[in-house]
Amino acid sequence: MSIPEPKRSRTLATGWLIAVFAISAVTDLRALAVLSVLAPLVFPRYAWAVFCKLLVTVIPLAGLLVAASWAWLGLVEGTTPAWQPFAALFLRPALIAFVTFSVLKRVDLLGAVAAWPTASRLLVVTLAQIHALRLLATESYQGLRSRLPMKPRANLAVRSAGGVTAALFQLASRNARDVTDALRSRGL
Amino acid sequence: MHIPDGFLSPVLTIPAYAAAAPLWVWGAKRHFGPAQVEAMPVIGSLTAVAFVIQTIMIPIPGGTSTHLLGVPLLALLYNPLVAFVAESLVLGIQALFFGAGGVTVLAVNALAMGLLGPAVAWGAFRVLRRLGPRAGAFVAGWVSMLVSALAVAAALGLQQALDPSYFPTPFPVVLGAMLVPALLTGLVEGAYTLVAFSLLARVHVREHP
Repeated sequence: MSIPEPKRSRTLATGWLIAVFAISAVTDLRALAVLSVLAPLVFPRYAWAVFCKLLVTVIPLAGLLVAASWAWLGLVEGTTPAWQPFAALFLRPALIAFVTFSVLKRVDLLGAVAAWPTASRLLVVTLAQIHALRLLATESYQGLRSRLPMKPRANLAVRSAGGVTAALFQLASRNARDVTDALRSRGL
Repeated sequence: MHIPDGFLSPVLTIPAYAAAAPLWVWGAKRHFGPAQVEAMPVIGSLTAVAFVIQTIMIPIPGGTSTHLLGVPLLALLYNPLVAFVAESLVLGIQALFFGAGGVTVLAVNALAMGLLGPAVAWGAFRVLRRLGPRAGAFVAGWVSMLVSALAVAAALGLQQALDPSYFPTPFPVVLGAMLVPALLTGLVEGAYTLVAFSLLARVHVREHP
């Protein structure tokens, strides 16, 4: 018999928290390499999708950070720093993010925080706002694009966005008020 | 400016959680309870704006990145604790859905960028607003960026002092790499705080005492 929601989500979330803190304590490069191989075997479902997500989020940023730190330290100290601590520094965030994304695919986040009404309210309002802002930004960009014969360049898009920021903020505020009212009407 | 997951060991991250947890509970109960529901739309909107501007990160050598904060404005309009809770929420969403920052380092990032920076901004604004609220808002935004960068550099420097094999870049190197971009990004943060503060004052968003 499977564990019912939201208990299942809470159990998974607790296990995930323990796992990520445990991974963050590992310094041995070989242990991190072994864990990196094991992780997709523990979470085979969605592993490829999660890896693709890592390729566009954590891996480029962590890679750039670590490479820049290695180069900068070498420049400042005038020697070539050992690469092993930097490799471990790259593997840890990637591994933690893999575990995090894999677990999140299996957890109902709103269900897991349902026991805490303030946390639920904050989470819903902010997620709704992020969604509203993304929609507004997309609409603003598409509106600009429809008025031009060619695809607008980045600097033009940014300059045009400046003019509609106030209107966007007012729309976002109205949207947040609607969400808050909806939550209040449901007793949250 | 986020410290990524795995850049700080549990020796630092767990005590940071112990320090942040009571502040989260206090801040959430005091400023985000049912009695403060009228302020939620504005706080929610500004939190979402902070989320959006914090996703634009420029990696810098020394172990982290630079970006605008957005939350010092909440400290000016409401309270540093509001900024702390809002920033924690932003960091949580970024960590869970976008892999920016991280869950293990969330408390350290929240204390640096959500509490120390905005608290100093709030103090600076209260002192400087006699000279003019606009100048006060600009300086508050700028100084909050410097304080947050200093706090992040201090956390990374402490990790290096505790265990160089965990984080190999020493404090002076991190400090230089963080403060120089923060001096420039701080000017943009100051401009954002000034413009948003003026705009919100015009649409009568109440400044809390």
